[in-house]
Amino acid sequence: MAHNDQVVCATCGGSGPCDGKGRETLRAGVWVTNPVSVQVLGICSALAVTNKLENSLVMGAALIFVGVGTNLFVSLLRNVTPRRIRMIAEVAIIATFVIIFDQILKAYYWEMSKQLGPYVGLIITNCIIMGRAEAFALSNRPVVSMLDGLANGLGYAVVLGIIGFFRELVGTGALFGHQVLGADWYTPNQLMILAPGAFIALGFLIALYNAITGINKLEGKGS
Amino acid sequence: MKKGSAYTVLYAAVLGIICAVALTAVDRFTDAKKVANAQAEEVQNILTVLGVPFDAEASSSDLLAVYESMVGEEEIEGLEFFVSEHPEAGKLRATRFHGPGLWGPIEGLICLEEDMRTIFAIAFYRHEETPGLGGEISSAGFQDQFRGKVIQGPSGDPGIHLVNDGADQINEIDAITGATMTSDKVEDMLSEIIERIVARSGSSGA
Repeated sequence: MAHNDQVVCATCGGSGPCDGKGRETLRAGVWVTNPVSVQVLGICSALAVTNKLENSLVMGAALIFVGVGTNLFVSLLRNVTPRRIRMIAEVAIIATFVIIFDQILKAYYWEMSKQLGPYVGLIITNCIIMGRAEAFALSNRPVVSMLDGLANGLGYAVVLGIIGFFRELVGTGALFGHQVLGADWYTPNQLMILAPGAFIALGFLIALYNAITGINKLEGKGS
Repeated sequence: MKKGSAYTVLYAAVLGIICAVALTAVDRFTDAKKVANAQAEEVQNILTVLGVPFDAEASSSDLLAVYESMVGEEEIEGLEFFVSEHPEAGKLRATRFHGPGLWGPIEGLICLEEDMRTIFAIAFYRHEETPGLGGEISSAGFQDQFRGKVIQGPSGDPGIHLVNDGADQINEIDAITGATMTSDKVEDMLSEIIERIVARSGSSGA
């Protein structure tokens, strides 16, 4: 069964470090089972920090960093971790990476660190990271696990980037803090900066995603 | 392989130590930068609230030099004030205030004009409020509202009030929509510092 039902990577084939699951893993995280638009995970931070594009992208970078690091170490330790404390071990690893990112942000990107407030620290409880560690890294080899972390982090970052782009553009008429819609004719719709704007933007994004992938049509056939 | 309790404890201990070492290393590595950032920001906050001009791109040592040449320190019955002479507004005094916010502590500076009643400027420089909601207390739009307001109401009662339905009194500010908890806590901490200021400078008041 190993041959036909898997998309085998062209680069290194079925025997490479990804066990032939590289491309499939990447595609799953970014698109097919996107953590935000399909699994609707990580919503708290996705709604909270996306009022500016820059914040969204830094948050995405944080998730990629933590996801890759956590999956690598959870995978490396998967055969020596006692089953009954595996979740505590995962949280310890996640927390370590999150705090490292937070400290670096505080040292080299002070302004951003202040704007993101508690949300970088809250990645420790982010379902995406914990979910990937449990569902993937515990049963896969290190390289492909890192790829899975990267894919899911990217999937999160892309969704946040899109929401952040529209919220900042519509809400303030600016992108990365630079005015792009003329202040003389464009009246910023501040609804998009506030909490409801986040729900509206995310709702539209998921609707668009479903329209493109036809998820609901497939479900409709069954009934 | 069946793993016993001793193994589990050992595993947890080793993992804990490795994580702790990693965090300590990162903390050591970034500490100098973080301290410099915090110090520069502290000085920047004081200079900003006192209306002292400075170069925003200046290094932390330059900022410190500006601070030392322009700002004096004064203590009035246990309250520490930063004092500076403003070319137009005259002698300004700023003092720190702090209190609990919704998610974490809030710290700020309030700067008063010579009468010790009129607000020259206010700054909420440290907080962990929700970005975009309570976090807006550190936005220029919110802080600018305080300029020219008076820390006593028309009948002399001390305190600044954050209101929902149009701020039309000399001691009222438009609260932030969607951040009621933060607004309430800000009002509380301002009341506390204002009561202390009014109590100490009662005789010199307007």
